[in-house]
Amino acid sequence: MTAAAIEKTVVDFLTRTKKLPTDFHVEMNLYADGVGLDSLETAELSALLEDEHGEDPYSSGTMPQTLAEILAFYAAGAQA
Amino acid sequence: MSEQHTETGPRVVIVTGGSRGLGAGIVRSYLDSGDLVATCARSRTAEVDGWESEAPDRFLFVPADLSKVEDCEVFVKAVVERWGRVDVLINNAGVARDGILGLFSDEDIDTVVDLNLKGTIYMTRLVGRRMLARRSGSIVNISSIVGRSGYRGLAVYSATKAAMDGMTRAMARELGTRGITVNAIAPGYLRTEMSHGLDEDQLQQIVRRTPAGRLGEPDDIARVCQFLTDPAGSYLTGQVLVVDGGLTG
Repeated sequence: MTAAAIEKTVVDFLTRTKKLPTDFHVEMNLYADGVGLDSLETAELSALLEDEHGEDPYSSGTMPQTLAEILAFYAAGAQA
Repeated sequence: MSEQHTETGPRVVIVTGGSRGLGAGIVRSYLDSGDLVATCARSRTAEVDGWESEAPDRFLFVPADLSKVEDCEVFVKAVVERWGRVDVLINNAGVARDGILGLFSDEDIDTVVDLNLKGTIYMTRLVGRRMLARRSGSIVNISSIVGRSGYRGLAVYSATKAAMDGMTRAMARELGTRGITVNAIAPGYLRTEMSHGLDEDQLQQIVRRTPAGRLGEPDDIARVCQFLTDPAGSYLTGQVLVVDGGLTG
Protein backbone atom coordinates (compact mmCIF):
# COMPACT_ATOMS: atom_id res chain seq x y z
CA MET A 1 0.00 0.00 0.00
CA THR A 2 1.18 3.50 -0.70
CA ALA A 3 0.72 6.70 1.28
CA ALA A 4 -1.16 8.13 -1.69
CA ALA A 5 -3.64 5.24 -1.63
CA ILE A 6 -4.25 5.66 2.09
CA GLU A 7 -4.68 9.40 1.72
CA LYS A 8 -7.15 8.79 -1.11
CA THR A 9 -9.21 6.49 1.13
CA VAL A 10 -9.43 9.17 3.81
CA VAL A 11 -10.11 12.05 1.44
CA ASP A 12 -12.73 10.07 -0.49
CA PHE A 13 -14.43 9.22 2.79
CA LEU A 14 -14.42 12.85 3.95
CA THR A 15 -15.78 13.91 0.59
CA ARG A 16 -18.56 11.32 0.73
CA THR A 17 -19.53 12.39 4.23
CA LYS A 18 -19.37 16.05 3.21
CA LYS A 19 -16.71 16.74 5.84
CA LEU A 20 -13.75 17.64 3.68
CA PRO A 21 -12.64 21.16 4.61
CA THR A 22 -11.39 23.28 1.75
CA ASP A 23 -8.15 23.81 3.65
CA PHE A 24 -7.69 20.15 4.65
CA HIS A 25 -4.10 19.11 5.30
CA VAL A 26 -2.41 16.07 6.82
CA GLU A 27 -1.87 17.75 10.19
CA MET A 28 -5.49 18.85 10.61
CA ASN A 29 -7.26 17.25 13.59
CA LEU A 30 -9.85 14.77 12.37
CA TYR A 31 -12.28 15.31 15.25
CA ALA A 32 -13.95 18.13 17.14
CA ASP A 33 -11.33 20.80 16.69
CA GLY A 34 -10.80 20.16 13.00
CA VAL A 35 -12.66 18.02 10.48
CA GLY A 36 -15.40 17.17 12.99
CA LEU A 37 -15.75 13.41 12.62
CA ASP A 38 -18.10 11.95 15.24
CA SER A 39 -17.68 8.49 16.80
CA LEU A 40 -19.80 6.67 14.21
CA GLU A 41 -18.00 8.34 11.33
CA THR A 42 -14.72 7.37 12.96
CA ALA A 43 -15.90 3.76 13.10
CA GLU A 44 -16.79 3.98 9.40
CA LEU A 45 -13.36 5.32 8.57
CA SER A 46 -11.76 2.57 10.63
CA ALA A 47 -13.75 -0.09 8.75
CA LEU A 48 -12.97 1.46 5.38
CA LEU A 49 -9.24 1.56 6.10
CA GLU A 50 -9.34 -2.09 7.16
CA ASP A 51 -11.38 -3.04 4.09
CA GLU A 52 -9.08 -1.32 1.66
CA HIS A 53 -5.69 -1.73 3.33
CA GLY A 54 -6.02 -4.92 5.38
CA GLU A 55 -5.56 -3.30 8.78
CA ASP A 56 -6.33 -0.02 10.45
CA PRO A 57 -4.83 1.98 13.31
CA TYR A 58 -8.05 2.22 15.32
CA SER A 59 -8.41 -1.58 15.59
CA SER A 60 -4.80 -1.79 16.71
CA GLY A 61 -5.57 0.20 19.83
CA THR A 62 -4.37 3.61 18.74
CA MET A 63 -6.43 6.72 18.13
CA PRO A 64 -4.76 8.74 15.41
CA GLN A 65 -5.62 12.42 15.60
CA THR A 66 -4.58 13.39 12.08
CA LEU A 67 -4.09 11.95 8.62
CA ALA A 68 -0.36 12.26 9.25
CA GLU A 69 -0.70 9.87 12.21
CA ILE A 70 -2.71 7.44 10.09
CA LEU A 71 0.01 7.51 7.43
CA ALA A 72 2.66 7.01 10.13
CA PHE A 73 0.82 3.89 11.37
CA TYR A 74 1.00 2.27 7.93
CA ALA A 75 4.57 3.43 7.36
CA ALA A 76 5.61 1.81 10.65
CA GLY A 77 3.84 -1.41 9.63
CA ALA A 78 5.60 -1.42 6.29
CA GLN A 79 8.98 -1.09 8.01
CA ALA A 80 8.29 -3.83 10.57
CA MET B 1 -30.59 -24.41 -7.10
CA SER B 2 -29.35 -21.29 -8.80
CA GLU B 3 -28.41 -17.73 -7.94
CA GLN B 4 -31.81 -16.17 -8.37
CA HIS B 5 -32.31 -13.59 -5.65
CA THR B 6 -34.38 -10.63 -6.89
CA GLU B 7 -33.00 -7.67 -8.76
CA THR B 8 -30.23 -7.05 -6.24
CA GLY B 9 -28.50 -10.36 -6.92
CA PRO B 10 -27.53 -12.94 -4.34
CA ARG B 11 -26.79 -11.67 -0.86
CA VAL B 12 -23.85 -12.76 1.25
CA VAL B 13 -25.41 -14.26 4.37
CA ILE B 14 -23.75 -15.37 7.58
CA VAL B 15 -25.74 -17.70 9.82
CA THR B 16 -23.93 -18.55 13.03
CA GLY B 17 -24.46 -21.99 14.47
CA GLY B 18 -26.03 -23.28 11.27
CA SER B 19 -24.95 -26.90 11.35
CA ARG B 20 -28.12 -28.24 12.98
CA GLY B 21 -31.53 -27.40 14.36
CA LEU B 22 -32.91 -23.92 13.85
CA GLY B 23 -29.66 -22.63 12.34
CA ALA B 24 -29.71 -25.37 9.73
CA GLY B 25 -33.26 -24.43 8.80
CA ILE B 26 -32.17 -20.83 8.29
CA VAL B 27 -29.17 -21.86 6.19
CA ARG B 28 -31.46 -24.03 4.07
CA SER B 29 -33.84 -21.12 3.53
CA TYR B 30 -31.13 -18.73 2.28
CA LEU B 31 -29.64 -21.40 0.02
CA ASP B 32 -33.11 -21.92 -1.41
CA SER B 33 -33.46 -18.17 -2.06
CA GLY B 34 -30.28 -18.27 -4.14
CA ASP B 35 -27.98 -16.49 -1.70
CA LEU B 36 -24.35 -17.10 -0.78
CA VAL B 37 -24.37 -18.62 2.69
CA ALA B 38 -21.61 -19.07 5.25
CA THR B 39 -22.04 -20.82 8.54
CA CYS B 40 -19.91 -22.03 11.40
CA ALA B 41 -20.09 -24.47 14.25
CA ARG B 42 -17.63 -26.30 16.42
CA SER B 43 -18.07 -29.46 14.38
CA ARG B 44 -19.39 -30.60 11.03
CA THR B 45 -22.69 -32.39 10.53
CA ALA B 46 -24.26 -34.41 7.73
CA GLU B 47 -26.20 -31.28 6.71
CA VAL B 48 -22.97 -29.33 6.27
CA ASP B 49 -21.46 -32.11 4.15
CA GLY B 50 -24.61 -32.18 2.04
CA TRP B 51 -24.62 -28.43 1.40
CA GLU B 52 -20.95 -28.48 0.44
CA SER B 53 -21.71 -31.10 -2.21
CA GLU B 54 -24.95 -29.49 -3.34
CA ALA B 55 -23.83 -25.87 -3.59
CA PRO B 56 -20.03 -25.72 -3.46
CA ASP B 57 -19.93 -22.22 -4.96
CA ARG B 58 -22.60 -20.81 -2.66
CA PHE B 59 -21.89 -22.44 0.67
CA LEU B 60 -19.02 -22.03 3.10
CA PHE B 61 -18.47 -23.81 6.39
CA VAL B 62 -15.81 -22.75 8.86
CA PRO B 63 -15.26 -24.69 12.10
CA ALA B 64 -15.37 -22.12 14.88
CA ASP B 65 -16.18 -21.66 18.55
CA LEU B 66 -17.72 -18.19 18.62
CA SER B 67 -17.15 -17.80 22.34
CA LYS B 68 -13.54 -17.16 21.28
CA VAL B 69 -13.01 -13.83 19.57
CA GLU B 70 -10.11 -15.25 17.54
CA ASP B 71 -12.45 -17.82 15.96
CA CYS B 72 -14.96 -15.07 15.13
CA GLU B 73 -12.21 -13.12 13.37
CA VAL B 74 -11.10 -16.15 11.36
CA PHE B 75 -14.68 -16.90 10.34
CA VAL B 76 -15.55 -13.38 9.20
CA LYS B 77 -12.23 -13.02 7.42
CA ALA B 78 -12.86 -16.26 5.51
CA VAL B 79 -16.26 -15.00 4.36
CA VAL B 80 -14.93 -11.61 3.26
CA GLU B 81 -11.97 -13.19 1.46
CA ARG B 82 -14.32 -15.47 -0.43
CA TRP B 83 -17.20 -13.12 -1.26
CA GLY B 84 -15.92 -9.63 -0.49
CA ARG B 85 -18.70 -8.45 1.81
CA VAL B 86 -21.45 -9.43 4.22
CA ASP B 87 -25.04 -8.34 3.56
CA VAL B 88 -26.87 -10.31 6.21
CA LEU B 89 -25.85 -11.54 9.65
CA ILE B 90 -28.09 -13.97 11.51
CA ASN B 91 -26.80 -14.35 15.08
CA ASN B 92 -28.25 -17.76 15.82
CA ALA B 93 -25.50 -19.63 17.67
CA GLY B 94 -26.50 -20.36 21.21
CA VAL B 95 -26.43 -22.92 23.94
CA ALA B 96 -28.76 -23.71 26.82
CA ARG B 97 -27.89 -25.23 30.18
CA ASP B 98 -30.84 -25.93 32.41
CA GLY B 99 -30.83 -26.07 36.16
CA ILE B 100 -31.75 -24.09 39.22
CA LEU B 101 -29.41 -21.11 39.46
CA GLY B 102 -28.49 -21.92 43.05
CA LEU B 103 -26.93 -25.15 41.82
CA PHE B 104 -25.40 -23.78 38.63
CA SER B 105 -21.65 -24.17 38.15
CA ASP B 106 -19.33 -21.32 37.20
CA GLU B 107 -18.41 -23.30 34.12
CA ASP B 108 -22.02 -23.56 32.93
CA ILE B 109 -22.59 -19.84 33.50
CA ASP B 110 -19.51 -19.02 31.43
CA THR B 111 -20.48 -21.45 28.67
CA VAL B 112 -23.90 -19.86 28.19
CA VAL B 113 -22.82 -16.22 28.57
CA ASP B 114 -19.67 -16.58 26.47
CA LEU B 115 -21.43 -18.05 23.45
CA ASN B 116 -24.92 -16.55 23.58
CA LEU B 117 -23.93 -13.04 24.53
CA LYS B 118 -20.23 -12.44 24.03
CA GLY B 119 -20.16 -14.44 20.80
CA THR B 120 -23.08 -12.40 19.47
CA ILE B 121 -21.35 -9.16 20.45
CA TYR B 122 -18.07 -10.24 18.83
CA MET B 123 -19.81 -11.20 15.58
CA THR B 124 -21.92 -8.05 15.49
CA ARG B 125 -18.86 -5.88 16.04
CA LEU B 126 -16.87 -7.60 13.28
CA VAL B 127 -19.66 -7.76 10.72
CA GLY B 128 -21.22 -4.43 11.68
CA ARG B 129 -17.91 -2.73 10.84
CA ARG B 130 -18.00 -4.29 7.37
CA MET B 131 -21.57 -3.14 6.91
CA LEU B 132 -20.66 0.36 8.06
CA ALA B 133 -18.00 0.57 5.38
CA ARG B 134 -20.66 -0.27 2.76
CA ARG B 135 -23.53 1.56 4.45
CA SER B 136 -25.92 -1.33 4.06
CA GLY B 137 -26.82 -4.59 5.73
CA SER B 138 -29.25 -6.44 7.94
CA ILE B 139 -28.63 -8.07 11.29
CA VAL B 140 -31.06 -10.45 12.97
CA ASN B 141 -30.50 -11.74 16.48
CA ILE B 142 -32.21 -14.99 17.39
CA SER B 143 -33.50 -14.32 20.86
CA SER B 144 -36.19 -16.29 22.72
CA ILE B 145 -39.52 -15.74 24.40
CA VAL B 146 -37.89 -16.81 27.66
CA GLY B 147 -35.92 -13.57 27.53
CA ARG B 148 -39.28 -11.90 28.16
CA SER B 149 -41.32 -14.44 30.05
CA GLY B 150 -38.58 -16.32 31.87
CA TYR B 151 -38.62 -20.07 32.42
CA ARG B 152 -37.87 -22.00 35.57
CA GLY B 153 -34.39 -23.50 35.28
CA LEU B 154 -33.29 -21.24 32.43
CA ALA B 155 -32.21 -18.13 34.34
CA VAL B 156 -28.82 -17.72 32.68
CA TYR B 157 -30.13 -18.54 29.21
CA SER B 158 -33.04 -16.13 29.74
CA ALA B 159 -30.64 -13.42 30.89
CA THR B 160 -28.55 -13.73 27.73
CA LYS B 161 -31.62 -13.57 25.52
CA ALA B 162 -32.99 -10.49 27.30
CA ALA B 163 -29.58 -8.90 26.86
CA MET B 164 -29.71 -9.65 23.13
CA ASP B 165 -33.03 -7.82 22.91
CA GLY B 166 -31.45 -4.76 24.52
CA MET B 167 -28.47 -4.97 22.24
CA THR B 168 -30.82 -5.19 19.24
CA ARG B 169 -32.48 -1.91 20.15
CA ALA B 170 -29.17 -0.19 20.88
CA MET B 171 -27.54 -1.34 17.65
CA ALA B 172 -30.58 -0.30 15.63
CA ARG B 173 -30.12 3.22 16.98
CA GLU B 174 -26.37 3.11 16.42
CA LEU B 175 -26.47 1.89 12.82
CA GLY B 176 -29.84 3.14 11.58
CA THR B 177 -28.50 6.28 9.97
CA ARG B 178 -26.16 4.13 7.89
CA GLY B 179 -28.85 2.04 6.26
CA ILE B 180 -28.29 -0.99 8.46
CA THR B 181 -31.28 -2.66 10.11
CA VAL B 182 -31.02 -4.60 13.36
CA ASN B 183 -33.92 -6.72 14.59
CA ALA B 184 -34.47 -9.78 16.72
CA ILE B 185 -36.75 -12.77 16.58
CA ALA B 186 -37.96 -14.29 19.82
CA PRO B 187 -39.05 -17.81 18.91
CA GLY B 188 -41.35 -19.81 21.09
CA TYR B 189 -40.77 -23.49 21.70
CA LEU B 190 -39.41 -25.25 18.65
CA ARG B 191 -39.06 -28.90 17.87
CA THR B 192 -35.26 -28.79 17.79
CA GLU B 193 -32.37 -29.95 19.95
CA MET B 194 -32.75 -26.81 22.05
CA SER B 195 -36.06 -28.10 23.42
CA HIS B 196 -34.58 -31.45 24.42
CA GLY B 197 -34.36 -30.27 28.02
CA LEU B 198 -38.15 -30.41 28.10
CA ASP B 199 -39.84 -33.76 28.58
CA GLU B 200 -42.79 -34.90 26.47
CA ASP B 201 -45.38 -33.87 29.08
CA GLN B 202 -43.94 -30.33 29.17
CA LEU B 203 -43.96 -30.14 25.38
CA GLN B 204 -47.58 -31.33 25.21
CA GLN B 205 -48.55 -28.75 27.82
CA ILE B 206 -46.93 -26.04 25.69
CA VAL B 207 -48.80 -27.28 22.62
CA ARG B 208 -52.13 -27.16 24.50
CA ARG B 209 -51.48 -23.56 25.52
CA THR B 210 -50.38 -22.45 22.04
CA PRO B 211 -53.15 -20.97 19.86
CA ALA B 212 -51.44 -22.34 16.75
CA GLY B 213 -51.80 -25.81 18.26
CA ARG B 214 -48.29 -27.02 17.60
CA LEU B 215 -44.64 -26.47 18.37
CA GLY B 216 -42.68 -24.22 16.05
CA GLU B 217 -40.52 -25.51 13.23
CA PRO B 218 -37.25 -24.00 11.95
CA ASP B 219 -39.08 -22.97 8.76
CA ASP B 220 -41.41 -20.76 10.82
CA ILE B 221 -38.42 -18.76 12.01
CA ALA B 222 -36.52 -18.85 8.72
CA ARG B 223 -39.46 -17.18 6.96
CA VAL B 224 -39.32 -14.30 9.44
CA CYS B 225 -35.55 -14.02 8.94
CA GLN B 226 -36.18 -13.64 5.21
CA PHE B 227 -38.79 -10.97 5.88
CA LEU B 228 -36.53 -8.99 8.22
CA THR B 229 -33.60 -9.12 5.81
CA ASP B 230 -35.51 -8.20 2.69
CA PRO B 231 -33.65 -5.21 1.21
CA ALA B 232 -37.02 -3.50 0.73
CA GLY B 233 -37.67 -3.57 4.48
CA SER B 234 -35.33 -0.77 5.45
CA TYR B 235 -37.91 1.01 7.65
CA LEU B 236 -38.26 -1.94 10.02
CA THR B 237 -35.52 -1.85 12.64
CA GLY B 238 -35.02 -2.10 16.39
CA GLN B 239 -37.84 -4.60 16.85
CA VAL B 240 -38.10 -7.92 18.63
CA LEU B 241 -40.65 -10.06 16.80
CA VAL B 242 -42.21 -12.77 18.92
CA VAL B 243 -42.83 -15.86 16.79
CA ASP B 244 -44.43 -18.36 19.12
CA GLY B 245 -47.74 -19.42 17.62
CA GLY B 246 -49.53 -16.97 19.91
CA LEU B 247 -48.33 -18.61 23.15
CA THR B 248 -47.40 -15.37 24.89
CA GLY B 249 -49.72 -13.07 22.98
